[in-house]
Amino acid sequence: MSIFEYNGSALVAMVGKNCFAIASDRRLGVQLQTIATDFKRIYKIHDRLFVGLSGLATDAQTLYQRLVFRHKLYQLREERDMKPETFASLVSAILYEKRFGPYICQPVIAGLGDEDKPFICTMDSIGAKELAKDFVVAGTASESLYGACEAMFKLDMEPEELFETVSQALLASIDRDCLSGWGGHVYVVTPTEIKERILKGRMD
Amino acid sequence: MSRRYDSRTTIFSPEGRLYQVEYAMEAIGNAGSAIGILSKDGVVLVGEKKVTSKLLQTSTSTEKMYKIDDHVACAVAGIMSDANILINTARVQAQRYTYAYQEPMPVEQLVQSLCDTKQGYTQFGGLRPFGVSFLFAGWDKNYGFQLYMSDPSGNYGGWKAAAIGANNQAAQSMLKQDYKDDITREEAVQLALKVLSKTMDSTSLTSDKLELAEVFLTPSGNVKYQVCSPDSLSKLLVKYGVTQPAAEAS
Repeated sequence: MSIFEYNGSALVAMVGKNCFAIASDRRLGVQLQTIATDFKRIYKIHDRLFVGLSGLATDAQTLYQRLVFRHKLYQLREERDMKPETFASLVSAILYEKRFGPYICQPVIAGLGDEDKPFICTMDSIGAKELAKDFVVAGTASESLYGACEAMFKLDMEPEELFETVSQALLASIDRDCLSGWGGHVYVVTPTEIKERILKGRMD
Repeated sequence: MSRRYDSRTTIFSPEGRLYQVEYAMEAIGNAGSAIGILSKDGVVLVGEKKVTSKLLQTSTSTEKMYKIDDHVACAVAGIMSDANILINTARVQAQRYTYAYQEPMPVEQLVQSLCDTKQGYTQFGGLRPFGVSFLFAGWDKNYGFQLYMSDPSGNYGGWKAAAIGANNQAAQSMLKQDYKDDITREEAVQLALKVLSKTMDSTSLTSDKLELAEVFLTPSGNVKYQVCSPDSLSKLLVKYGVTQPAAEAS
């Protein structure tokens, strides 16, 4: 049994036309036992930047608290929000600091950069960045998610269509993974608004 | 005056004074003044900008007011470079508290923590004290809105209205006369601008010589720190009748 599979998680981020979507499942388990069905994996850093953290829940929470610390200081000193690309570099550096005793965590970062261009990336638990133009996935359901996203993804989707695509891909994949499930939590972010929606899937 | 006792911070004079600390306060007495007023629904901070040259590249950043955390801000008087170090220290301390306890740092604890740092420079290390006084304005859920004043010795106190920098004694006595316990935020702004206009050296009061900031609660219940824009500040100065038109050249 791998420590990465202790709590169970599913995360996906997808790029649309001047928008992005980031979605996760809602299960928190301790191996086979389900502990919570409303667990939050996706956090808002600022209005145009979200980070989802999969893997061991305690490391995900601690890593998020450290990121808030660093981002708050950045905002105070620079008097502006961090760009998604910069934030990704920060996360990568923080993860590599623990190279020989890492956070058991795989982040998915999604944001709107300059000129409202969507930016997504993921990295492994020691900070190796993987930039993608279409979608990124993480968690115990990642293999199913790769397949589902590859099949359903289209370029330049509008926010409503993007929401449908991400939701279908997420729900289909978590149904194939016993450690993720209990619905979905989807954020669709455009330059003007953030739409947060809860999905009802197979509640097992 | 026992001159032989004033070159080291870490020794007392025979009269029981710390000369270096007192000299630091002298340095602040020459700096631009700042006034803070506590009201029922917020805290008002007003500062006098000493550096006003047309050549100065003014960006959005401020000279007197600084945000420490979402719920605490401060006004400075004294040596700016010293102030920058302390402000950075305060910001990091506030984030460290939030990281450890997952809630905003109570205002008094933040002030105390920073003052402990300042005190260190009066007792050991052989380094000179910081030549800065602060006015901290903030809100927390234990004590609501608060205003604190701190000086180079590391002493601090909670105040209803306080003044630091040039002419602070004159400003303080004016505040003592006109302050009322149930003052509203709008009245506090008016009082602060009035007192500052009377104690400032310059002949004409315009919005580019002042900075105004307020700490208050939004309708949704969040603490907000807002710096007044130069345009709104000009309008306020006209409204309260404290703008004196520049003397016309004859």
